[in-house]
Amino acid sequence: MLADAADTASILAVNRAAGAEGLAPSMRIADARARIGFLQVRTHDPEADANALARLAHWSTRYTPSVAPLDAANGADGLFLDITGAAHLLGGEEKLLADLARRLAAFGLDARLACAETPGAAWAMARFSRTPAPILAAGAEAEALAPLPVEALRLDAETALTLRRLGFKRIGALMGQHRAPFAARFEKALLKRLDQALGRVAEPLALLAPPAVYLARRSLMEPIFTEDAIVEVAGTLMHDLVPALERDGAGARAVRLSLYRVDGLVETLDLALALPTRNPDHVTRMLKLRLNRIAQELDAGYGFETLTLAVALAEPMQAAQVEMSAAGASALEATTRLASLLDALRQRLGQHSVRRLEARARHTPERSETVTLAAPQTLHWPPPRSTRPVLMFPHAEPADVIALLPDGPPQRLTWRGRHHTIAHAQGPERIAAEWWSMQSPAPTRDYYLVEDKAGRRLWLYREGIPGREAAAPRWFVHGLFA
Amino acid sequence: MTPPHAPPPHAPPPHAPTASHTRDETVRELRRMLSRIESLHIEGVDGDAPRGLSFGLPALDTHLPRGALCFGAMHEIAPESEADLPAAIGFLISLLARAPGAAPLLLILEARGIARNARLSGHGLNTLGLDPGRVVLVETANEKDTLWATEEALRSGVPAAVATTLGVKLNLKTSQRLQVAAREARLPLLLLRPPAAENAATATTRWRIASSEAARDRFGLTTRWRWRAALERCRNGRPGEWILEFDHATHRFSLAAALADPALPEGRSAPPVREQTARRAG
Repeated sequence: MLADAADTASILAVNRAAGAEGLAPSMRIADARARIGFLQVRTHDPEADANALARLAHWSTRYTPSVAPLDAANGADGLFLDITGAAHLLGGEEKLLADLARRLAAFGLDARLACAETPGAAWAMARFSRTPAPILAAGAEAEALAPLPVEALRLDAETALTLRRLGFKRIGALMGQHRAPFAARFEKALLKRLDQALGRVAEPLALLAPPAVYLARRSLMEPIFTEDAIVEVAGTLMHDLVPALERDGAGARAVRLSLYRVDGLVETLDLALALPTRNPDHVTRMLKLRLNRIAQELDAGYGFETLTLAVALAEPMQAAQVEMSAAGASALEATTRLASLLDALRQRLGQHSVRRLEARARHTPERSETVTLAAPQTLHWPPPRSTRPVLMFPHAEPADVIALLPDGPPQRLTWRGRHHTIAHAQGPERIAAEWWSMQSPAPTRDYYLVEDKAGRRLWLYREGIPGREAAAPRWFVHGLFA
Repeated sequence: MTPPHAPPPHAPPPHAPTASHTRDETVRELRRMLSRIESLHIEGVDGDAPRGLSFGLPALDTHLPRGALCFGAMHEIAPESEADLPAAIGFLISLLARAPGAAPLLLILEARGIARNARLSGHGLNTLGLDPGRVVLVETANEKDTLWATEEALRSGVPAAVATTLGVKLNLKTSQRLQVAAREARLPLLLLRPPAAENAATATTRWRIASSEAARDRFGLTTRWRWRAALERCRNGRPGEWILEFDHATHRFSLAAALADPALPEGRSAPPVREQTARRAG
């Protein structure tokens, strides 16, 4: 039993037992308590409700990928499942509804189910039909809805009340009327809902996730727990997808494996791949590496009973391209092999752990290159122009420097608590700040390649031209030469 | 500093001259077996062209079996002290740059950075003659992942060479696994170790690198980096110590013969052993 903890506490929802005792929503708690002594009251927690509904919606994708949780206008207390093309997998609509009812009951949920051609009709039948889990045949909406109260049209309370005052208590009473007076009186809401319920206008659903074009599903007789079993099932699922991918000349760049737990939770694994692939072995190997990495986080609970594999991102793929030259073929093969190595490293070490260096057309040292996610293609680098240190500090480290002249080369250096006597200083190489891309210009830098007595080479810079940009210039160590 | 070794003629296996013919044959047979076991090509045993990273310096290459840092083997590089780490990295990078072909080079590093937060710089690699476009950087969170990534990279057969940073400890089993992976992949595996590292038992060569004053032209401008490179251990070869020069314009190694001679004034260098190669202007 749910109760609303508003200013005057009133009932928001009741369970079946309370309904049988004559309690109904919008009744005051005090009245209810007066009627039944042993009333259990729970405070309404909209957020928890929404979360639970979202969880249930994810779980429901085991029946069909097209699941839409009901929004606020629809009551926010249920789900639409578009089972077009999905019902036959469980042997028809009756079997699907029966299976769904059984599983929901196992979760302890008292659900009302209905199946109809339109979301509006299904909504109405689920709430107001006298038979449990009715299935409406196509075209039977008008007949089935006629005896239901006007509230079954998903109207707001005010509209419903007005209709009742005008004497329209049943939907059937509205159906035969001329539309014009209603359109003038009730704006669009009423007629739109009526048309939607009868299938005269289409009603788009706000789906949880766009259904994948390539989707394979397996329901298992016995729930599985082990990594090996998951990987094996995923392998067969990928095998199932290959013909469809081949037909479309596509390959998977990203796949999503959804694991449906017996207790209604869903675990999803997303694999991103460097090159489009149709190779089940590659996908299962990547999955295995990923499962290795997240073994602790993945909670099998009482086991997984259904697995789906969807291609989240498909890209065109040359169908076994025949290269005329041996060199071209081997280059293509090398790229594929590199892609699978990068994939493997990434699954085990994390998405951002495999990178490549990319040159950028900037002259400030820290902006002149960047690391990018590794792609199997080789990046182009310009030939070296000036001598640069092999190790760079992402943030230049401040150092104490003694120079004979304010704008002269450094003589002594204290950095990381150690003193260095500079034997040779080569420079300065003056690098101006990127004045065009900043609000207030950063100081100019004078870079020196210095070498101490032991032959250690550092890259230092003085920030600001002494006397012009800065009174007392600061020094930084920016890199280490080999 | 020890004077650099004069380039010795290639030393044949030390046979006892009085040994009987059968004993000679037996020794040769044993050597052949050894080389097969270790997958090392000793000169004269296998007619293949040398497959290895060569320094291009006869004085140094003759110390190495088959005149190069052979493929399919593990080579250990350690700095003399913490402060020499950049020199050791420079040595490693300039060796990697000599890997033939255009296949990618994998550098497997721990994510916390080198020498306290420093990162490899692409332009810096370019300066050392390594095309940064070939490099794939792999960052790992711990040593277990590092070893896994190294083996994975070697077994894939994709890269031209693999370089890995490893911590102080390295047990025999791990060392053997890496050696086997490198051998089966027929790829060079370069290990960068900390200064106080336990030695990898199965490494074919072990280098200790220290910084040294750069060679300068008469205007005091740096022309060549210098490193003190000690070959501490070399299976089927001979250890040695050199002042190695690396010219960052031509990307070639040379030997600083003169610097080791205390009679010459500091800062002046005689022409290196290898004759001067044409250097790019600037």
